[in-house]
Amino acid sequence: MVKRLSVYLLVFGLIVSFSLFLNACSKKALREGIEKKEESAKVEEKVKEELKGEPKEETKVSQPLKSEETDKAATEAQLREEELKKQKEREEAARKEEAAIKEEAARKEEAAIKEEAAKKEEAAKREAAVREEFENTDIHFDFDKFSLTNQAREILAKKVSWLQGHTDLKIKIEGYCDERGSNEYNMALGERRANSAMEYLVTAGVEASSQFIVHGLITTAGLSTLFI
Amino acid sequence: MKKTGYIFIIFICLLFFSPVLSHTKTYIDIDSPSFRRFPIAITYFKDIKGKDNKGDISKEIFEVLTQDLEISGLFTIIDPSLFIESPVDSKSGNDNKINFRDWSAIGAEALVKGSFRFDNGSLEIETKLYDVFQCRFLLGKRYVGKRQDLRKMIHRFCNEILLSFTGEKGVFDTKIAFVSDESGYKEIYVIDFDGHNMIKITNHKSIALSPTWSPNGKMIAFTSYKDGNPDLYVKDIIANKEDRISHYKGLNIAPAWFPDGKKLAVTLSLEGNPEIYVLDKDGKRLKRLTNDWGIDVSPTLSPDGKEIAFVSDRSGNPDIYVMNSQGENVKRLTFQTKYSASPKWSPKGDKIAFSSLAEGHFYIYTMNPDGTDVRRLTSNSGDNEYPSWSPNGRFLTFTSARGGNKRIYIMRADGSGQRQIGEFKGNQLNPCWSPRLQ
Repeated sequence: MVKRLSVYLLVFGLIVSFSLFLNACSKKALREGIEKKEESAKVEEKVKEELKGEPKEETKVSQPLKSEETDKAATEAQLREEELKKQKEREEAARKEEAAIKEEAARKEEAAIKEEAAKKEEAAKREAAVREEFENTDIHFDFDKFSLTNQAREILAKKVSWLQGHTDLKIKIEGYCDERGSNEYNMALGERRANSAMEYLVTAGVEASSQFIVHGLITTAGLSTLFI
Repeated sequence: MKKTGYIFIIFICLLFFSPVLSHTKTYIDIDSPSFRRFPIAITYFKDIKGKDNKGDISKEIFEVLTQDLEISGLFTIIDPSLFIESPVDSKSGNDNKINFRDWSAIGAEALVKGSFRFDNGSLEIETKLYDVFQCRFLLGKRYVGKRQDLRKMIHRFCNEILLSFTGEKGVFDTKIAFVSDESGYKEIYVIDFDGHNMIKITNHKSIALSPTWSPNGKMIAFTSYKDGNPDLYVKDIIANKEDRISHYKGLNIAPAWFPDGKKLAVTLSLEGNPEIYVLDKDGKRLKRLTNDWGIDVSPTLSPDGKEIAFVSDRSGNPDIYVMNSQGENVKRLTFQTKYSASPKWSPKGDKIAFSSLAEGHFYIYTMNPDGTDVRRLTSNSGDNEYPSWSPNGRFLTFTSARGGNKRIYIMRADGSGQRQIGEFKGNQLNPCWSPRLQ
């Protein structure tokens, strides 16, 4: 019972205070009617201020207390502002989008260039690698021998195909031996080893032996190696 | 009867005195099996002008004398601390002042004394050799030169000492040409036989190999890759003039002079296979000596120029062969190992030195020119290669890797007295002992 009563009382109190508030508002509106323009300008200013990005809690609260008109004006201004803002935002977004598109395009272009360069580089690298492999894959001979081993034949067979695609090159074949057992004998052995390799290449179809320079060389490091 | 008795006495007298009378008395018979080292005392030379302030000159004279006589292997150098007569204060020059009894008391049978004058960069050395046993002056020499000629002067005096003791001049003023990679390239250098006074002969910034002295000691033939191909060069080291004498396609290597100094035996591969040819000094091909499927390389002439020993792998492995200078009568000399190389005919013609692979290492050997009496001269681990004879055939120079890098060594012809000469950077190879130099 007491609960329900207090609820009624509260509702009544609210109604009373509401009517009182309305009265006060209408009176105030009459009083301040003359200063309306001025006031609205002020409000506008305040709105502007608000829009400037430094909203003051005070202003916001006081506005609805002033009058409906100011409120409206403020709302309109706000709306305008909002619209302006939106437009700006839209413009901005458009700009951004445009920039993004441009950027994207540039990126794509760049990527394409890069890709192409990479491809070229890769191709060059591959070519260089093949060439390097060609140059650096040595064939080895048994001690004091110049006959080709099976392994040497396999390596030379690979070299043949590469050589057939590069008929414009001059090829130097160097037969290396170490200096043990007299450098004079080893130079002769080195030359024979280089000749063995050249004969294989020519027999396998590499054109013109004039393409070759054959050398017997000695080295202190490494045993019985042939570089092509 | 009386007559024959007189003749007998005269004969006996002649027998006893002939060594004294004749000037060719041989104190040391090097080739005798009962050969013993001759005890010799070497004194510090007297500084007449007193300008050798630090004692460098007298010290160096003493060192070179000691070194040379030691290397000869013919002398025992008596420890100077045993000298009764102070080695530094002893006077020289006057025979009468020498108390031979003081020297024989410490076991010396020969004595070297001397003096020097050093003034204004000019050096004058007076040397004397005495026979202590017979209280006799044997030899005196005076040398004049500059300070840097000191070693040369003493080397020459040591040559004379050997001449008077053995009847054969020493080889202490000879040189050794060799290849060194100390500059990063293989260049040819020349040093005194004891490793001093290094001179750079080539500056090809490439690979120079196989230096070989001409018989007159004025030129060195060698191979160089200077122009990309192994070509043959001859450098006149007196006139400092260098000629490329042969640049046939392929190998132009392994030069060996004929004793007349007008022709060279070399290996060329212009006809496809490495074969031995004879070239004249201008590189003109005179004759092809070998004709087989194998490698024929490293010719070496007998001193009479009638025979050539060389390396060939015609039987499967490199071995030493011999043929006459027309390329006929080919005979194989080495059978004992699977790899023999670098033959060098001795100056007297009685031996061929070579290197051979045994038990994983190369060793220096000598053999008779018919392949008999094979003797191994080196026993150290590490490869021993590239033998080359001194002009009197008493010594061999060779390379050894016994200490790590390949270095130049010398030893007596029987393998004794092995010692490294010089201390150079990198590796050295192809040492070639010069002939006697004028």
